[in-house]
Amino acid sequence: MDEKLITLNNLKIFAEELLKANYTLILQDKQGIRWEKISNSDELHISSKLKPTKASFKEFVFSKTEPIFYFNNKNDGVELIDSNLSAEKMVFFGSKPCDAKSINIMSKVFNWDYKDNFFNTKAENSIVIGMLCEYRDEFCFCTSVNLSPVSSDGSDLFLIPTDENNFAIRIVTEKGREFIQPFLKLFAEGNPETTDQIFKKINLPEKGFESEVIRSWIGNNFEHKYFERAGEICLGCGQCAFVCPVCHCFDIVDEECGYSCGRRMKNWDACQFSLFTLHGSGHNPRHNQTQRYRQRISHKFKYYVDKFDEILCTGCGRCSRGCPVGIDIGQIAKEVHSLAANKV
Amino acid sequence: MSEEKFQPKIVAFVCNWCTYTGADLAGTSRLKYQPNVRLIRLPCTGRIDPVFIIKAFEKGADGVLVSGCHPGDCHYNLGNLHARRRFILFSELMNYVGIDSSRLHFSWVSASEGKKWVDVINEVIDTVREVGPFKKYQKINKEFVLHE
Amino acid sequence: MNELREKAKELLLNNTVKLIIGYANGNGHNRTYPFIARNAADANRLVFNEYCVNNLAVYLTRKEFKGKGIIGIVAKGCDVKAIIQLIQENQINKDEVYIIGMNCNGAVNQLDNSFEKTTLAQKCINCTVRTPALYHALIGTTKDIEEPADTLGEKIKEVEKLNADSRWDFWEAQFEKCIKCYACRQVCPLCYCEQCIVDKTVPRWIESSAHTRGNFSWNIIRAFHLSGRCIGCGECERVCPMDIPLSMLNRKMSIIAKKEFDYSAGVSLDSPTLVGTYNMKDRQDFIK
Repeated sequence: MDEKLITLNNLKIFAEELLKANYTLILQDKQGIRWEKISNSDELHISSKLKPTKASFKEFVFSKTEPIFYFNNKNDGVELIDSNLSAEKMVFFGSKPCDAKSINIMSKVFNWDYKDNFFNTKAENSIVIGMLCEYRDEFCFCTSVNLSPVSSDGSDLFLIPTDENNFAIRIVTEKGREFIQPFLKLFAEGNPETTDQIFKKINLPEKGFESEVIRSWIGNNFEHKYFERAGEICLGCGQCAFVCPVCHCFDIVDEECGYSCGRRMKNWDACQFSLFTLHGSGHNPRHNQTQRYRQRISHKFKYYVDKFDEILCTGCGRCSRGCPVGIDIGQIAKEVHSLAANKV
Repeated sequence: MSEEKFQPKIVAFVCNWCTYTGADLAGTSRLKYQPNVRLIRLPCTGRIDPVFIIKAFEKGADGVLVSGCHPGDCHYNLGNLHARRRFILFSELMNYVGIDSSRLHFSWVSASEGKKWVDVINEVIDTVREVGPFKKYQKINKEFVLHE
Repeated sequence: MNELREKAKELLLNNTVKLIIGYANGNGHNRTYPFIARNAADANRLVFNEYCVNNLAVYLTRKEFKGKGIIGIVAKGCDVKAIIQLIQENQINKDEVYIIGMNCNGAVNQLDNSFEKTTLAQKCINCTVRTPALYHALIGTTKDIEEPADTLGEKIKEVEKLNADSRWDFWEAQFEKCIKCYACRQVCPLCYCEQCIVDKTVPRWIESSAHTRGNFSWNIIRAFHLSGRCIGCGECERVCPMDIPLSMLNRKMSIIAKKEFDYSAGVSLDSPTLVGTYNMKDRQDFIK
């Protein structure tokens, strides 16, 4: 594995050069709410100790709302016009391992039978510069979903702070290597063994549950009354799904642009909404919040694993930090794990 | 004409029994007023949901007028009194978010006040013309609009 | 705390209530979460402290609980205001709720959704209902607390001072952030509509897309639908993942209701609601 060294000063110059080369730099904002584009390398603030923003960077690869196509009613029929796919080159700078992994996970569902051009174009145009994470709170559980604060999985390049003003940068993918090529003069040669030592010193969040245990328990206990208890206080908002780095459900609606034209929009949707499964007939197969909450857990830890061999969760803890009623998905998984262990 | 005047689009939500009839009277009396207004007839000002007003701005209106019967004249006795209360709240809210009284207008015009209708509508159009096109709203209207 | 648990146990054991909506400790975290107590063992898990920020009145109108017998609820003064408002709007039956009123010494500000800084919550500043206005049992005592300055009122005044264009710019920047997760609506005790106007599709009045235009109409209409009804519990602003200052809208509407009609929400059980009535003397200087 190739490794380079860079000083904080040079990192700023690197950012400056990227901006000049028409890359869009996207970073955690200073308020800790969401990721935002920066226009000046002075705004580059990265740290391994930053708290994860309330929203993930998902919205840049999977927009909260975007047009799929436009339609125009003409005398000789309906004309369809494709929407332009953005070719913006994006760099996610200083992403935590739990964020960096998200594009890989989502790409499985977006390329499973239909190839989703909207997602793919943006994903292909993205470079993820991951960063070792030293933030911990009671909601973090990346180690329980087979990730870790030092994992470069999903990153193209991976930053490791060696001291306050110096970083090591690991080249993880071929895409990352090509991307960094024009800027190599800013980097010095590094030694992967030194950073391996740093990795060893990082303390990891305690592993709370085995995801495989959760998967098989859910498969055998679909009607278990535990879900009733977990789901009864859920208020049915979409906060958890919308801040999640990997939740990818969407809704399609038509909007008019004028008297004879319109656009078809793709909007985020969430399985906790009562409208999510509502049929046109008025029948709702998931008619109470308990069933909807069970769906959320099952999709994350069972269905997605069964289908794509990937847990639909990166353990970032965003949904739990923000849940209006304090539902903590890490805690629920732990409880399910102990239910499974005690065979109840 | 070298310099064309800005022609604002005004949407007027009017009640069937007073203002619409008043506007009709203006017409049958051959009174002239500026043609920038589109009338939308509803049974009563009490039927006018504030969401209609927002929709009008979304559809590109530069100004909105809501007009109905004078208090006490309502065909349904109380519709305009409930509406008045609602519009006190709504106009304050709109003002707070940046849509002030130069774009959002209210009036009472009875069935016999054809002349008042002409005056009101001319005044509304002139006021909106003075503040110009509603560029702020048009900016958010243009998001995701197809440009060819 | 013991007093609360004893009372809860008594109510559950003698079948006065079917269940009690209260708070329990979050699992090891420095926070509490809503908890439904159904038996004596559950009752032993009930807690009440400054971390009990949620307004539990939101559960009273949910179909899992409404009309299913007498519901006990652990409620702070502000939550009781919501209950009063719900009774006033005929959403719950006065006889189907048993209020365990809590004397409250203020809840903490849930900054960043964790309690790193334990400052007093905005809603608790100038609180007039630290002892609930309506209750069946009253628990705890109030003590003097130190109240920081009311910054929300100042923020509103600052925005009011701007010209119309700048006010627009301020709110446009706020609404642009909205992701339409509807946490504000779901957590609001007064947002009980079976079908929300934003979910209506024929006709679709408010676009469900989270672009600025759709967000603008959604947030404006929600503020309007709550005017004269919002009791100021501040839950919508607390839960907003994008930190939109929704209290600045709702407080503004309360100020207008007070100024124009001398009306406050959540005070009277049987007087008509603000927009459910009228007065011949209502102001009409803005009407030509």
